[in-house]
Amino acid sequence: MNTQMKTEQFSVVRNTTTSRGAAVVTAMILIALISVPFWAGRADLRMIIEFAYYLSLAQMWNLLAGYAGLVSIGQQAFVGLGGYMLFVLAIYFNVPPIMAVFLSGLIVALFAIPTALTVFRLRGAYFAIGTWVVAEVYRLGFAQVTTLGGGSGQSLPASIVREIGSGRSEREMIIYFTALFIAVASIGLVYWLLRSKHGLSLTAIRDSEAASDSLGVDIFKTKLAVYVISAGITGVVGALIFLQKLRISPDAAFNLQDWTAAVIFIVVIGGIGTIEGPIIGTLIYFILRGVLADYGSVYMIVLGVVAVVMMLKAPQGVWGFLSKKYDLHLFPVHRRLKAKDELE
Amino acid sequence: MKDNNNKRRLANGLSRRNFLKTSGGLVAGAALVGGLGSAPAFAKQRVIKFGYVTPQTGPLAPFAEADNFILNGVREKLKNGIQIGSRTYPVEIIVKDSQSNPNRAAEVANELILSDEVDLMLVSSTPETTNPVSDQCEINEVPCISTVAPWQPWFFTRGGKPETGFEWTYHFFWGLEDVVENYTNMWDSLNTNKVVAGLFPNDGDGNAWGHKELGFPPVLAKKGFTLVDPGRFQSLTDDFSAQISAYKNADAEIVTGVVIPPDMTTFWSQAKQQGFNPKVASIGKGILFPSSVESLGQAAHNLSTEVWWSPNHPFNSSLTGQSAREIATGYTQSTGKQWTPPLGFTHALFELAVDIMQRVDSLGEAEAIRDALLATELDTVVGPISWKNGPVKNVAKTPLVGGQWRQGGDFMYDLVITNNQTAPMIPVASDMQPLS
Repeated sequence: MNTQMKTEQFSVVRNTTTSRGAAVVTAMILIALISVPFWAGRADLRMIIEFAYYLSLAQMWNLLAGYAGLVSIGQQAFVGLGGYMLFVLAIYFNVPPIMAVFLSGLIVALFAIPTALTVFRLRGAYFAIGTWVVAEVYRLGFAQVTTLGGGSGQSLPASIVREIGSGRSEREMIIYFTALFIAVASIGLVYWLLRSKHGLSLTAIRDSEAASDSLGVDIFKTKLAVYVISAGITGVVGALIFLQKLRISPDAAFNLQDWTAAVIFIVVIGGIGTIEGPIIGTLIYFILRGVLADYGSVYMIVLGVVAVVMMLKAPQGVWGFLSKKYDLHLFPVHRRLKAKDELE
Repeated sequence: MKDNNNKRRLANGLSRRNFLKTSGGLVAGAALVGGLGSAPAFAKQRVIKFGYVTPQTGPLAPFAEADNFILNGVREKLKNGIQIGSRTYPVEIIVKDSQSNPNRAAEVANELILSDEVDLMLVSSTPETTNPVSDQCEINEVPCISTVAPWQPWFFTRGGKPETGFEWTYHFFWGLEDVVENYTNMWDSLNTNKVVAGLFPNDGDGNAWGHKELGFPPVLAKKGFTLVDPGRFQSLTDDFSAQISAYKNADAEIVTGVVIPPDMTTFWSQAKQQGFNPKVASIGKGILFPSSVESLGQAAHNLSTEVWWSPNHPFNSSLTGQSAREIATGYTQSTGKQWTPPLGFTHALFELAVDIMQRVDSLGEAEAIRDALLATELDTVVGPISWKNGPVKNVAKTPLVGGQWRQGGDFMYDLVITNNQTAPMIPVASDMQPLS
C-alpha cells in the first residue's frame, strides 16, 4: 500500500527545462550554420568544415569509449580507409566525389566487421593496443599498393575536385553542407541510439559486462553494431577529410596523432560519456590551436599539460564538471525520477 | 529543509545567475573561435604577403634550422617595402609550421590562402611538405614556388603530366638524373667491381630513386653497373640483416640509397658489425646534415653524398649581394652552427619571391604574379634560375655536384666537393677517396 502511494507520486522523465531551452538554441544555431555560406568568407567555411569533421570523429570515439567502453586507439584505421576508398572510387571508378564520400563509409563499415571479429577477442588495454596494431597493419598494407602511390602517396586530380560544382564557391558550398550534414547526423545518431533501448544496453555493458550479460543483454551483438556504425561514420569523415586535403599517403591517412590522439584529447577535455563533451572539447581544441599553433613545440607542450591537469583535477572533463555542478543536460539521455508535484 | 533546496534545484535546473555565467563563457568562446578565422575588419594599407610553409618542428626540423637566420636577413632587407608601379608596399612574411606532417601542411597552406590571402606561396623541405602545399595552391589558384625536394617526386606523385604540367605551382631544385650522374661519376673515379647495393625505403624519395623507369635502375644499367635491390623497406626499421646479407652475397662494393638519418645510423653500424665493408657509400638525405654525420662517430669519414649548395659555390645573392661563403659564415657567426645546404635554398626562395614581385605591374592579380614568375631569369645564390628550359614545364633546375664528409677541418666533419663533372663552374676541393 505504502509503495503504491509512492510510485504514484513520482514519474520518470528525461527532458528538463534547460534541455528544452537547449533544443531551441540548437535549432537556432543550426539555422545560423545553414546560412553561413551565404555571407561568410572562404576561410570561415573551411574552419567550420574542419570543426565539423573533428566533432564527428569525437562523437564516434565517444560513442565507442564513453558509452560502449570500447577504448580504441586505432580509429585512424577507418579515417585512412575512408580516405583511400574515396581516391579509389573517384579516380578508378569515376564515382562523383560527394557520392564517393558516403559510399566510402559503407565500404569501411564492411571492413570493420572482420576487424571487429579480430579485436573483440581482446579486452581493456589489450583491446586498445590491438586496435592500434590493426591500424598499423592497414597503414603498412596500403604502403605496398603501388597503384595508390605506395609509400609516396597520391594527389586527387584537380579535374575530379572540379566535378563537385561548376565554380569554386558552388564547390565549397556543397562540401560545407556535406560536412555540416555529417556532423549533425553523427550527433543525432548518438542521441537517438542512446535514447533507444540500445543505449541502455550499451551503458550497462560499459559499467559491467558480467552483470549486463546476466540480465539478458546480447553483449557481442551490441558491441559489434556500435563498432561497425562508428567505423562507418569515421570512414565517411575520413573520405571528407581527404577530399579537403587533396593528397593522401599512408602516413597522412593512418596518422595516429591527427585522427586519434587529437580526438581523444577533445573527448577527454570536453567530457567523456556525454554528447555535449565532444562539442565543448572541439571548441577548446580549436581555440588552443588557433592561439598557440604558431609557437612550434610550445603548442604541443601546452596541449600535453592541459590534458594531464584535466585528467588529474577534473577527470570527467569540462562538461562533466559543469553538468554535475549545475545539473545541466542539453541532450538528456538519462532517465530521472521526479516527484509529481514538481511537474505541475 | 534540505529536501526543499533539492527540489528547487531540480525544478529550475540552474539558477539565473549561473546560467548567465555559463552562457557568457560559451558566447565568449564562440566569438573567439569565430574571430580566429577572419582578418580584422578595419581598413588597412595593402601589404605584399608571402606565405612560407616549413617544418619547424618534428623529424624534418633540421631542414628549417636556418629559417630564422634567413628570415631576419630578408625582413631587414625588405623593411622599406617593394615598389610596384609608382607605389611602395610594405612586405609581410607569414611563416607557418607544418609540424613535419603532410595533413598539417595542407591545413596551414589553406589558412595562408584563405585567411591571410597571401600573394605568393613559398614552401620548402621534402615532398611531405612541398606536395600538399602545392596541391592546395593549384586548386585555389595561388602562385606557389617550392624547393628542396628532387623534382620527380614533386612532379609525378602529384599526377603531373609532362605535356600539360601545372598552372600555378612551380619548383626549383635538381633531379634524380643529376644524383645518378654525380654518384656514378664519383664511383667511376675509384676502382670497383661496379656492383651497387641499393637501399631504397618505401617513401616518396625511396620509391622515386628505385623506380624501374624513372629512377636509378635504368641509368645504372646503361652505365655498366649491376644493381642489387632487395626491395623497398619501411622507414625506421631496426634490422637491416636481410639487406646486408643480400649485398654481401652479391659482393657489392658500392652502396647507394636515400634513407632518413636514424635508418642510416642503424644500417651503417649493422653493416660494420656484420663485416660488410664497401669501398664507397653514396647516400642521399641520411647524411645531409652535419648532426646526422656526427652521430655515426668515426665511421662517417669519406661517406659521400650529393652537394646541392656549399660556401664554395661561386654564386652571389641577388637580394643582399653576399657570396655563398659570406652567407654561410654569417650563419655560423650568428648561431654558432655549421652551415647546411638548405641555408642557400631558403635564401634563394626569398630572392625569387622579391625578384618576381618587383617585376609585377600591379598588385592583386594572381595571373600577373604567375606571369612574372614564368619570365624569371635570376642569378641566385644557388645558381641561375629560369623556368623556360626545365625538363618539364614548372621545373627549373639548379646545379648539383658530389662530395665527401671528411674529418680534420673546422668542424668535426666537413663536406668537401670531390666531383664536379656535371657543373664545372663549381670548384673541386679534393680528389675522391675510398672508404678505409
